[in-house]
Amino acid sequence: MSHRQVLPALALGGLVLVPLWVQDSFFLNAMIHVFLLGAAAQAWNLIGGYAGQISFGHAAFFGLGAYTTSWLLSRHGVSPWGGLWAGAGVAIGVSLVLGYPTFRLRRHFFALATLALAEILRISFLNWEAVGAAVGLYLPLQYRNRLAYLMWDSKPPYYWTALGVVTLATAVAWVVDRHRAGRYLRAVEQDEDAAEMLGIPTRRYKLFAMGLSAALTAVAGGVYSLYVLYIDPYNVMASRISLLVVVIALIGGRGTVAGPLLGAPFIVLLNEYTRAWLGGRGAGVDFILFGLLVVLLSLYQPRGLVGLLNAFRAPPQPVPSGAGDDRPEPMQGASQEGEVVLRIRGVQKSFGGVWAVRGVDLDVRRGEILGLVGPNGAGKSTLFDCLTGFLRPDAGEAVADGVRLVGLAPHRVAWAGLARTFQNLRVFPELSVWDNVLCGVEHRGEGLWEATLREVPLPVQEEVAQLLRSFNLWEQRHQRAGELSYGQQKLLSLAMVVLRRPRVVLLDEPAAGVNPVLVEEMAQRIRALHAAGLTFVVIEHNMDFVTRTCHRVAFMAEGQVVTVGAPEEVQRDPRVLELYYGR
Amino acid sequence: MELVWQAAVSGVVLGLVYALVALGLSLIWGVMDVVNLAHAEYLMLAMYATYWLWALGRLDPALAFPVVVPVFFGLGWLTHQALICRIVRAPLAAQIFATFGLLFVLRYSAFAAFGPNVYGVWRTGEGTVTVLGVSVAASKVVAAGVSLAAFGLLAAFLRYTKTGKALQAAAQNRDVALALGIPVDRMYALSWGIGVASVALAGVFLIPFYQVSPTIGDAFLLLAFASVVLGGFGRVDGALVGGLSIGLLENLLGTLVSPTFKFLFVFAAFVAMLLVRPQGLLGDVGR
Repeated sequence: MSHRQVLPALALGGLVLVPLWVQDSFFLNAMIHVFLLGAAAQAWNLIGGYAGQISFGHAAFFGLGAYTTSWLLSRHGVSPWGGLWAGAGVAIGVSLVLGYPTFRLRRHFFALATLALAEILRISFLNWEAVGAAVGLYLPLQYRNRLAYLMWDSKPPYYWTALGVVTLATAVAWVVDRHRAGRYLRAVEQDEDAAEMLGIPTRRYKLFAMGLSAALTAVAGGVYSLYVLYIDPYNVMASRISLLVVVIALIGGRGTVAGPLLGAPFIVLLNEYTRAWLGGRGAGVDFILFGLLVVLLSLYQPRGLVGLLNAFRAPPQPVPSGAGDDRPEPMQGASQEGEVVLRIRGVQKSFGGVWAVRGVDLDVRRGEILGLVGPNGAGKSTLFDCLTGFLRPDAGEAVADGVRLVGLAPHRVAWAGLARTFQNLRVFPELSVWDNVLCGVEHRGEGLWEATLREVPLPVQEEVAQLLRSFNLWEQRHQRAGELSYGQQKLLSLAMVVLRRPRVVLLDEPAAGVNPVLVEEMAQRIRALHAAGLTFVVIEHNMDFVTRTCHRVAFMAEGQVVTVGAPEEVQRDPRVLELYYGR
Repeated sequence: MELVWQAAVSGVVLGLVYALVALGLSLIWGVMDVVNLAHAEYLMLAMYATYWLWALGRLDPALAFPVVVPVFFGLGWLTHQALICRIVRAPLAAQIFATFGLLFVLRYSAFAAFGPNVYGVWRTGEGTVTVLGVSVAASKVVAAGVSLAAFGLLAAFLRYTKTGKALQAAAQNRDVALALGIPVDRMYALSWGIGVASVALAGVFLIPFYQVSPTIGDAFLLLAFASVVLGGFGRVDGALVGGLSIGLLENLLGTLVSPTFKFLFVFAAFVAMLLVRPQGLLGDVGR
């Protein structure tokens, strides 16, 4: 075992032994709260930290777990061992009903919807006679001191149960964090469009994180109800719980496994002890402090206590053996050169009456590098958006090797074999270079459980290593992508999209804003990848780059393809001279 | 039918008050795309301010606004200069957490200062006014009138003054506005000043018929969000339409179905709106 495994094991062992020495019931009560709220915060962190979808309504899931467990026990005598599962199931159901539609929306809407959900549930439960309405539910005392019912007369068994819950939540978070799913969730948090375009089904991963988060929170709520033996909407669905959970994860460190573990004792103990020391009158003082800390962290240290502890530490990376500067193997079918791989017919798009693209017909042949040039506003990037599912064209059709692209979500377009870079840089700045490229593996047919439980297979990691070497990014593989130079980030974004050897790679201004040395490097990489069998469509203003790299050039102006031909031909075309250079 | 009419009229009156609460949230959201989670805490503080002016200074709440509103304008401006201007271009999460932390600080400062007790202004001989055949408490009618006046003034300011036009320009395109020489940061600070001042105005006229406690922000924040989302976020008239819809919804369904569930209907409508038409009743399609 490495020290990274020994330390948590020792800490857990120490915590298990604590009640044997300390019987102070105030302290044990505080620790039970630390564990249960820590577990809920760990769960919140999956959706709010990793996936970046901020929930202010986790009290709803906490309460659903508490209510399901208590109701089944008090009304039907069902053991909590079943009730906790049932509570988790109910919470998953509710979380998916809320998440499925709201994850379509960006920005603040998910946070607002969770706020409303918690309030809706609280009002409903306050008035719902079947669950005791405002009177709440009492747990039957005759089941006490039986392991099957998880209820006891003394605090230590609850302490161990709660410790078990936080260990479970941490283990789940750790598994997610260490495998592909965690990487994809972080990618979603940083740039959802770019993640989609790599083929990551972002909504599926968000729903997955949401369901997992709701289930774990419900388990914590269920155990809490067994501990307090009496629940009503005020104690298990209070907005105070939602807020504490968020604050714990935030102050501890969002998007890290250790964060909620550091935050929970800090916040909860401060909360419990200030309440004891200052009484009801001073109950708000600690919250003022939490508020100030949250404000300061939002300004200066988004990763909380964890971020303060290790300002930056390179995560250990697997170092695949073997070196060399080999090209990726040619993809299958690359030999059928000249055959049309992407057929675009009559694609139109207008914005409020202004035509951006009006009736584009274009064939991309397998194994070519097709340049797409034209003045600004000619509709080149809009055409890419229409092909890749970011915009839905008003009319027209695009077919890649028999797959109709129009109407597909971007990740489906990626699954159909299209890859794309963006005009403005879209790498994941907080992920390492290595992780950035690993986000570009083939996602078609990649199951959720596979992504959660397994790392990318070694042969693929080997390919990533070779790709990084050939892009001269191997030395920087541990660096955060945001630390690279602009040109290196552009190279990285190319490496990310070609890893899975797509049928067609759409590049949006790969040479713009890059110094001449890196422009040459970029041209070389594109030619090398072409030699290995990839097909490219390149939007570029740098005509020198276009003539030296492309086989054919399509000239676009005012939303239409004016002419297609060899680079020299197009450059001499009088219509092009007039439209591009104003003659 | 009589009952429904009564509910509708008092729903409109209440809706106008909600609209005034939501006005500032909508303005700030529209101008700088920042959702102020601490918005309703300013309402709470303004209600306390008005209460104490009445309890200690014997100042009638209706006359408190010349004191309270300018102070809160300054508070809003200060909030922008001290905190918000640092996170305008930060990632969304940082923005959310900055105003979330602010919510904590303001709410629990009130908690520490005034305790958890509920305070209200009690005046004898509170009159009623007959509006369209329905008798409504005079203080509510005054609050509704103030709300209409505030919306009118803000609309006139945005449309007819140079500063108002500059504010709109800054909202539509920060970079273009900067290039035209508009002091965008000052426009942002102004929107915070106006936004917080308007919610304080709502607080001043709420306190005669609504008691204040440190946690009333919860309900009002959601009501304000619901108004803004229902009407169409980022538009000032959206807050008016949304507030009215919510007042009507709450009162009509509360009367026809069950008063205990009135907020449930409101929040359910809010979530349904988010799901079906996130741009709101007035919002443009295709954004």
